[in-house]
Amino acid sequence: MILPTILVLAIVVGYPIIYTLVLSVQDYNLLNIDPAVFVGAENYRNILTDRIFWQSLANTAVYTFGSVGIATLIGLAMALLMENLGGAGFRVIRALLVTPWAVPFVVVAFLFRYMYAQKGGIINAMLTGLGIIDDPISWLNVASLAMPSVMVANIWAMAPFFFLLLSATLAGIPVEVIESARVDRTRTWSMIYHIKLPYLRNPLLIGSLLMIIANFNDFAKIWAMTQGGPGYSTSTLVIYVYRVAFENFEFGYASALGVLWLALLFIFALAYMRALRTD
Amino acid sequence: MTKQENGQKGFWRHSARVVQFVAIGFALLWTLAPVYWMLATSFKSELEATRLDPTLWPHDPTLANYIGLAGTSLPFPQFFLNTMVDCLLTAVIAVVIGTPAAYALSRAKFRLRKPFGYTVLIFRMLPMVVLLAPLYLMLLHARLLDTHFGLIVGFTTFGLPFAVWMIKSFIDAVPIEIEEAARVDGYPRWQVVLRVVVPLIVPGLLTTGTFVFMDAWNNLIYPLTFMTTLDKQTLPAALVLTFTGQFKTDWGGMMAAATVTTLPLMIAFFAVQRSMVRGLTAGAVAGA
Repeated sequence: MILPTILVLAIVVGYPIIYTLVLSVQDYNLLNIDPAVFVGAENYRNILTDRIFWQSLANTAVYTFGSVGIATLIGLAMALLMENLGGAGFRVIRALLVTPWAVPFVVVAFLFRYMYAQKGGIINAMLTGLGIIDDPISWLNVASLAMPSVMVANIWAMAPFFFLLLSATLAGIPVEVIESARVDRTRTWSMIYHIKLPYLRNPLLIGSLLMIIANFNDFAKIWAMTQGGPGYSTSTLVIYVYRVAFENFEFGYASALGVLWLALLFIFALAYMRALRTD
Repeated sequence: MTKQENGQKGFWRHSARVVQFVAIGFALLWTLAPVYWMLATSFKSELEATRLDPTLWPHDPTLANYIGLAGTSLPFPQFFLNTMVDCLLTAVIAVVIGTPAAYALSRAKFRLRKPFGYTVLIFRMLPMVVLLAPLYLMLLHARLLDTHFGLIVGFTTFGLPFAVWMIKSFIDAVPIEIEEAARVDGYPRWQVVLRVVVPLIVPGLLTTGTFVFMDAWNNLIYPLTFMTTLDKQTLPAALVLTFTGQFKTDWGGMMAAATVTTLPLMIAFFAVQRSMVRGLTAGAVAGA
């Protein structure tokens, strides 16, 4: 019964993975008429001295951990705020609070690009109106501002996931636990810290692992907002690999980058699963 | 407790409530303002959309942007149809092929069950861009580049592993006794699955399909690389290809297109919202 799945997965995923490994030790440029040449570890050696690779790796870390971290906090805050609020009105509010999750990534990107715009952008209009800045800022075109700006859009889109996940978990905490803590006159903050957070620990770990992986893979938002620029300031590994493969058509080098990345991700996931198991 | 103390407590409780509601208000503002801005802009004229002092709501509401989408310059209805068909087919394929595998993973006892399960889980986490170059070459050699089938193959790389794990979580919840009764009656296994298990998990299958559909709808990297003819492009990729001109940006038209791109996803999303968390974390717990 699993044969069809095995077959399909072997063709569409298994084969490409092996092909990636093969490509990664070749000098393979799609635009070259010469056949691919076996170069051994040369691609990998080149990566070590590739400044843009290291910058992209750092960008990936900032983008991923920064966005997931802040989105988690916002989601947690919203879930705690909305806890215990029943009734139709609050059900509607709860549904409204998750709407960003239903906005396609590309749309998120264009929507924020428009809001960041120098001409007609609402963010600049608000900031100048309040007298916080004197002249409109070109948020996505300044190297130091582009990454935080993209991350805000990403956080906006991702926070509802944590809100949803943590709300469901909070609703699942047995009433007796909360009641007995209340009898002991536990204060709000220590109630959150000592009673609720332990329940939230595993969902938080699993949720953030999923989102970290999703962010490692995120292409649509960054590409549609900045295409990795200005310069390479918002270029994450996905963007960089994509550029190497489909702007320069250096499939060999791109594959080596991919393999290395796979290894990194694997180690990360393993460490995470470990952390999840030890309790 | 004196009356005064009671009053004080009531005061504090009252102001805590106020703070809570103000905070919820801010959360709503942060969440909804961008969506509102998209909708409002989509009804503005080009002139109004680029004003330096933006108007809070369209002062001269116009449908021109939406009518423009159906116009002749760009085949937006075609993009919409492409995306619908490609994503729906991907969802159907993932569910149809994934269900038997999920059943085996949930029920059958065979030696390779665990390794198989983990492999599927790892496939689910694979960075798509790693598969991009080899998939491109594969489709190139199979002459499937720039075809809807080729794109569906691409979508299947993440749709199928996800479907297997999610459907498994639904099958796990079906009591095994129900199946045993049918087995005692002498039905072969595949009939048990088809006649007993599948009807019980129809809502789960629909949810799974919706998730795969949404993932495919969100995907940009595959259509952007595998499709070369603009007419065959999906909506998100078409948005990127047609609106990324640095100098001419028609924000009103853009936001109208964005709204149209969002609607199907929004509908799908609210249809499965209850199962959202389960869908997103399916497999994660089992994999731990």
